[in-house]
Amino acid sequence: MRRYTLNILFCAAAVALVWLAQAEMLDGYVLNILMLIGINCIFAVSLNLVNGYMGEFSCGHGGFMCVGAYAGALISVAFFADSALFGEALFAPWLAPWLFPVILLGGMAAAALAGLIVALPSFRTRDDYLAIITIAANYIIISIIENIDAIGGPRGFSGMKRTVNAMADVIELPWMLMWTLAGVFVCVLVIRRLMSSTYGKGVSAVCQNEVAAEMMGVNTNRVKIMAFMASSGLAGLAGVLYAHIYGYVNAQSFGLLKSTEGLVMVYLGGMGSISGVLMAAVAFTLLIEVLRFVIPWLNETLHAVNLLPAGYQLDQIWTWVFIPLMLILLMQFRPEGFLGNRELSDVFPRLRRWITLK
Amino acid sequence: MTPLLEVAGLSQRFGGLQALTDFSFQLPERELAGLIGPNGAGKTTVFNIVSGFYKPTAGGIVFDGRRINGLKPHQITALGMARTFQNIRLWNDLTVLDNLRLAHYHRLGYGFWSAVLRAPRYRRAERDIETHARDVLAMMKLTDCANELPKNLPYGLQRRVELARALASKPRLLLLDEPAAGLNSADVDELIRLIAWIHGEFKLTIWMIEHQMKVVMALCRHLTVVDFGRVIAAGAPEEIRNHPQVIKAYLGDEAV
Amino acid sequence: MDFFLQQCVNALQWGSFYALIALGYTLVYGVLRLINFAHGDVFMVGAYLAFFISTGLLAPEGLFGFSRELTLMLTIPLTMIFTSLVGVTLERVAYRPLMRKGAHRLYVVITALMCGLVLENGNLALLGASRRTLPELVDKTIYNIGGIAVTSLKLWVVLTAILVFIALHFIVTRTRMGMAMRAVSWDKFALPLMGIPLDRVIVFTFALGSAIAGLGGLLFAMSYPVLEPYMGAMTGWKAFIAAVVGGIGEIRGAFVGGFLLAFVEVMVVAFLPSTFRDLFAFSILLFILWQRPTGIFGKPLTTKI
Repeated sequence: MRRYTLNILFCAAAVALVWLAQAEMLDGYVLNILMLIGINCIFAVSLNLVNGYMGEFSCGHGGFMCVGAYAGALISVAFFADSALFGEALFAPWLAPWLFPVILLGGMAAAALAGLIVALPSFRTRDDYLAIITIAANYIIISIIENIDAIGGPRGFSGMKRTVNAMADVIELPWMLMWTLAGVFVCVLVIRRLMSSTYGKGVSAVCQNEVAAEMMGVNTNRVKIMAFMASSGLAGLAGVLYAHIYGYVNAQSFGLLKSTEGLVMVYLGGMGSISGVLMAAVAFTLLIEVLRFVIPWLNETLHAVNLLPAGYQLDQIWTWVFIPLMLILLMQFRPEGFLGNRELSDVFPRLRRWITLK
Repeated sequence: MTPLLEVAGLSQRFGGLQALTDFSFQLPERELAGLIGPNGAGKTTVFNIVSGFYKPTAGGIVFDGRRINGLKPHQITALGMARTFQNIRLWNDLTVLDNLRLAHYHRLGYGFWSAVLRAPRYRRAERDIETHARDVLAMMKLTDCANELPKNLPYGLQRRVELARALASKPRLLLLDEPAAGLNSADVDELIRLIAWIHGEFKLTIWMIEHQMKVVMALCRHLTVVDFGRVIAAGAPEEIRNHPQVIKAYLGDEAV
Repeated sequence: MDFFLQQCVNALQWGSFYALIALGYTLVYGVLRLINFAHGDVFMVGAYLAFFISTGLLAPEGLFGFSRELTLMLTIPLTMIFTSLVGVTLERVAYRPLMRKGAHRLYVVITALMCGLVLENGNLALLGASRRTLPELVDKTIYNIGGIAVTSLKLWVVLTAILVFIALHFIVTRTRMGMAMRAVSWDKFALPLMGIPLDRVIVFTFALGSAIAGLGGLLFAMSYPVLEPYMGAMTGWKAFIAAVVGGIGEIRGAFVGGFLLAFVEVMVVAFLPSTFRDLFAFSILLFILWQRPTGIFGKPLTTKI
């Protein structure tokens, strides 16, 4: 029983958060940040499968999140909203809570299929060349979506709020928070279980010595397909959640910067360490939010003491100078991140008593 | 009786380099044969072709009555062939036990969804794999380092782990690429005993590349000598030892 | 037919830009086996430097009040020098310490990508979003050759690209430093035997590649006089695609790839909505990397056991 402490703690924390949200003790801003943390956790942990465990370098993870977001949004609108695109809603609104998992799965499946764009070239290509392929894939996905006028093209796509509202009409609950928490749980569980199975360790084998893997009976091509599809499928999960939380998606928000965010979280946390990446995802999301307040404050302070010329304003773009700089410094001084490829339970073996890996 | 492995007319070109010319060989079941020759003679190339890593320019390979040209290495492993490498190729950041577990990959018996859902099929398969891997570890006297990372083990033990990994895949044919390379004299004696024991215990057919005459002479019942990608002699070790062309290949023209 | 030829002229101009930038990727890759992803942004910096230098020198607003001809004559070398300083600084500050530590190649690639982002966003943060316009340094004469309009600037761009190609060919085959560059790409450890320190070769390579990118930036700014911080990102990617198509590490590859890509792009835009241009370019990249990663001129690699 004691081994399940962590799982129970997570569930308890989740219930507490949902209860707080239900009692309206969390304001909308805090709630949004909590959900954003959840999305980033899923995004980073899924990227970790490829960049950490498999040792490949995917810099186009945002593209798969984009596919998931759009696919989920489209299914959602088709199901529960009257739209010019799909006509009348397919289902009655009271079905929304029951059919939301279908929307999630649909988005994940679409993203997993998009993962094939990268998985197939990875048979023959490695390292920096594969990195370029992932970037190309990211651009291609965004470019395709922007060229389809029916789903809004460059204007973006919305209408998913109908589904969210429909769920709230059935029972008044913080639905999206609950789905996000469930998503994080499922994502961590899937990666954890996968990587503790012999089947999943094929991924590590491919990373550590691909020749030996292939020669010792590991079907490396299938391992790569599995890893890329699982990774992008889970990124799709993050995408569907994102689309429903904000009620609006635009392909441009899943560009190279989004992918870079993922990279920062993975390398900050440590490649191949789920706990490290989770910590990094939380820290990173909070850091971005903190910078949102610090930069205007810094701007005012520096103007007050006349350190900045009057005509010049510090603005939010500095965040995107700061974050790449942080990653550069990380690469220079601690490329293994918080935890390297170890888990918290490896660093503090006593924790093992409280955690089950199953 | 049909041989377990039959190689006929194998040739391999790399760009302008003719690495192997018309190599033919038959390996009966339960044989322990050796492949020797000077450095760069094309020995490892033969292993790489047989295990499917290279596609030969010409020639055919029949393993256990089945033509295996063009099969992927992992498919050939699944048919019952395993190998070790000249420079050890273990998965250095997985434990020794995991290294052996992964040798069962070609007959896991479950897939992605079973692993994620922890299906009964997954539990059963993992239990069997674990039991077998631990059995092999015990037989190879490696139980103590089951949870070590290979990169932290001494060189001699790494070689043994690699051998254990090959055995864990339950092969019928074992290809050993210079198993004694880098071992000291005492370790070599130990290795000779080990290979002889494995050969009997697991009822294996073994084909080995080896430089050290001591090992070859102690173990092999049949030798093939290659030089510049061609077979220059084949036969029992005693015949080979006195074969003029072999002496020439190893020692140069003056020695003859 | 006229339309087609007109498009070909445009393709030649764009191909020249791509080739000039692609050279930087190719030279660095040839020597260090490193894809310098910040190179596109070095090109952007070059264009901005050209802007500041030329407005600084030119009459009547400039500090010196030089004539247009003199300004152009001075802007070309100054832009090249300052841009090469930027490139060399990147190498010194970001890449070299990593390479020294023997860090994994991917760490260097990440660093390069991030350096690019820092340059782009740093520029935006420091200079603001207002777009800048390069003063007109040459008169736009339009020649009419058989019904096709060709501006003198376009001719200059294409001519410069050809001259750069000839000059580079000379450097690489005839000078000691150029031969050292080729030697490094074969065998890093044999180089000290030639009596040239490796670091000097690397610095020279970065300086050369960045200077050419600076020249490209200047010409680009003269042809399309509106500058913005993200101009280097997409153009840089396209140039990189060109380098890969031609076979990265090959100087001729950069040129052939540049013109080829420009031709495809111009034709796509001529017959399809312009939003399809990037889609095509990146699809080509994906396809080439998948099927023939070493490009048109590159030699295939094999794994050894």
